[in-house]
Formats: sequence, structure tokens, C-alpha cells
Amino acid sequence: MLGVVSTLAFAVDAGSADYIVKPMIILLLCVLGGIGTILLLPGPKQSAGLGGVLLALAGLAFGLIIFRAAAGTVNSDTGPYFWIFAVIALVGAVRVITHARPVYSALYFVLTVFASAGLFILMYAEFMAAALVLIYAGAILITYVFVIMLAASAQSPSDRSPLASLAECDLVSREPFTAACVGFALMGVLLFVILDKADQLTPPLPPAAVTTLMPEEAVHGSTQSIGQYLFQNQMVNLELSGLILTVSMVGAIVIARRRVVGVDQSFEPTVETISSTAAPVNDDPHSIPVYGTTNPRQKSFPQT
Amino acid sequence: MQILALQHYLAVGAIMFVIGLIGFITRRNLIVIFLCTELMFQAVAINLIAFSRFTGNLAGQAFVIFVLVIAASEASLALGLVVLLFRQKNTLDADAWRELKW
Repeated sequence: MLGVVSTLAFAVDAGSADYIVKPMIILLLCVLGGIGTILLLPGPKQSAGLGGVLLALAGLAFGLIIFRAAAGTVNSDTGPYFWIFAVIALVGAVRVITHARPVYSALYFVLTVFASAGLFILMYAEFMAAALVLIYAGAILITYVFVIMLAASAQSPSDRSPLASLAECDLVSREPFTAACVGFALMGVLLFVILDKADQLTPPLPPAAVTTLMPEEAVHGSTQSIGQYLFQNQMVNLELSGLILTVSMVGAIVIARRRVVGVDQSFEPTVETISSTAAPVNDDPHSIPVYGTTNPRQKSFPQT
Repeated sequence: MQILALQHYLAVGAIMFVIGLIGFITRRNLIVIFLCTELMFQAVAINLIAFSRFTGNLAGQAFVIFVLVIAASEASLALGLVVLLFRQKNTLDADAWRELKW
């Protein structure tokens, strides 16, 4: 016991000049955030407010520590925007996994996508930001919302309580304690490596090296240089991605069009899924009446 | 200036990835599970863009395009499967497919 305490104290004290954020502080904040996440996840207990407060406290403390550690070194004029977008993105991400209604989860994911697009713009990747908004918020999320609406279970109109219409699988989460332990342990390790060991991973580039690696317009995020890079260096990969999109499109059509035979007894066949047979295909080309043509063979058909 | 700012973006990406991971493990709705996968894709994209910016290499941004491609195809296939599974059991609960564990 004493050994553990002394080890912890040593870990707190060790190398306080070297670390940007002490590892024990990261660990404590991760534990706090984990408890908050457990309370926030949908479950039988009614303490989501406390969980939200705990999670917000952990995030605020972490942000303040980072902000204070970076205060003397970062002289960037886009700093406030970074904090705004980061907070919006992370709060949206937490709401995605903690909201009981899938539609709201999808909408909070849209919020996260927009905030991430803002972060991309801060990193001079405006083409990526536009592509992210177009593809994620425009295409993928529309698909998600459509599937959520298609798969919505029938609500009883008499019950008016806000969560009564939800299925049990939305209201009770599975193993929140284990998941939070694993996840926040991983988060602690990742943040420790990122914040304190990153200068060993990537040595800082002098500004001259950046400008030679990346021409000035590429540093400022020209779409043209990305296109040149893609079509000069990543040509095969680009073609393969087009192939993957085609294959997945065909596969999605094949999967979703398959008619389901009711194997489960609890399954109630509906008109839309089961009993509608495919329309009989009349492949006789002469069965299509053609009007107003000068071809005598086609005119010979009666104009009904 | 550069290193610390890179660490900011990496921290955001790591936190978002872990949030998506926790959601992937805990949620039981099939659609929300795939939504959490998209969240993890998003975090990886933030990391790639950050490395691309702070190491002066365009490969990161190019990889984000491929990540988007994979995410789009994964979403279409997965949602088609979700619709198929929902038609069979009439529920979105992942535990309804417990026999797939074996």
C-alpha cells in the first residue's frame, strides 16, 4: 500500500519540468470523465445531470491545463476558433453516444461534422472541409436519417411520455463501466503520449523546411495542389477508390433488394416487405405501342 | 508554436476517437453503432489533416479522401444490412442477433 502511494507520489513529482501535463493529472481527469460518461450513458439510473457536470468539469480542467501550458508558446491568431470548434465537436460527440434517440444522435453527429470542418479550415484544408460537409453531412447522414425513419418502430399514440416510444435497446446501454474503463484508459495513454512524448515522435520542422516541402499555395491549402498530388502520386489508389465506390453501390442495392422470407415467428409480414411480388416483366418488344412513327411495321399495331 | 498546436489537434482527435469507441461498445442500437464508427473515422481524419498540416506533406489530405471513400461505402453497405436485419427481427437491438456470436 505504502509502495503504491509512494509510486504515485513519485509519478506526480517526477520530471515536473519535462511534462507539459503531468501524467497523474491526465489519469485523474480521465477517471473523472469516465465516471461522468458512465452516468451520462442511457441506463436505468436517473443521474445524467451529475454525469454531464462531471464530464464538463473534466473537460474544462483539461482544456485549462492545455491552455495554460500553451499560453507562452502559441502565438496563433486562430486560437479562439480552435477552442470553439474543439468544444463544439467534442460536446457533439458526447451527445452522439449519450442521447437515447437515434435521430438526435444523427443530428448531433452533423454538429460534430460541421465543427470538424471548421477545424479543417483552421488547418488550411478547405477542400477537405467542403468534402467533409458534402459527403458526411450531405450524403451519409441523410442515409442514416432515412434508415432511422424506415426502421422506426410503431409508436403508441396514447403514451405521451418522452422516452416511452423508444425501444429497450435504446434506453439501456450495455456494459457502460467496462467500456468507460477501457476507453478512458486508452484516452489517458493517448493523451500522455501526445502531450508529453510527441516532440520525440516528430521533431519540429524549421519554417524553411516546411516551405520547401510544401509550396506556399499548398501551405495555404490550395485545392489545386491536392489534385496534382492525387493524380501524380496516388493515381492507382484513386482509381481503386472509384472501384470500391462502384462495388459498394452495387452491393448495397443487392443487399437491400433481397426479399426476406420470414424465418422468425415473431416477424409479422407486411405488404411492403413480403407479399408484394415483383411486377411481371413483359419482354415482348412489340407489346409497347409506338405512336407517330413512319415505320410501317410499327404502325401496324393498333393504337389503343 | 508548431509542435504544441499539433498536439492540440491530436488531443482533439484522440478524445473524439475514444468517445466513438465507448459508444461503439455500449450502445445497442445498430444504427447508433455505425454512427459511432463514423465518429471514429472523423477523429482519424482530424489526425491525418493535422499531420499533413504540421509536417508539410500533402499525403495526409489525400488519405482523408480515401477515408471518406471507405466511410461512404461502409455506410451504404452497413445501412443496407441494417435494413435487412430489421426486416427479419423487427427490432434494431444488436442483442437480437446474439446467435451470431458463436
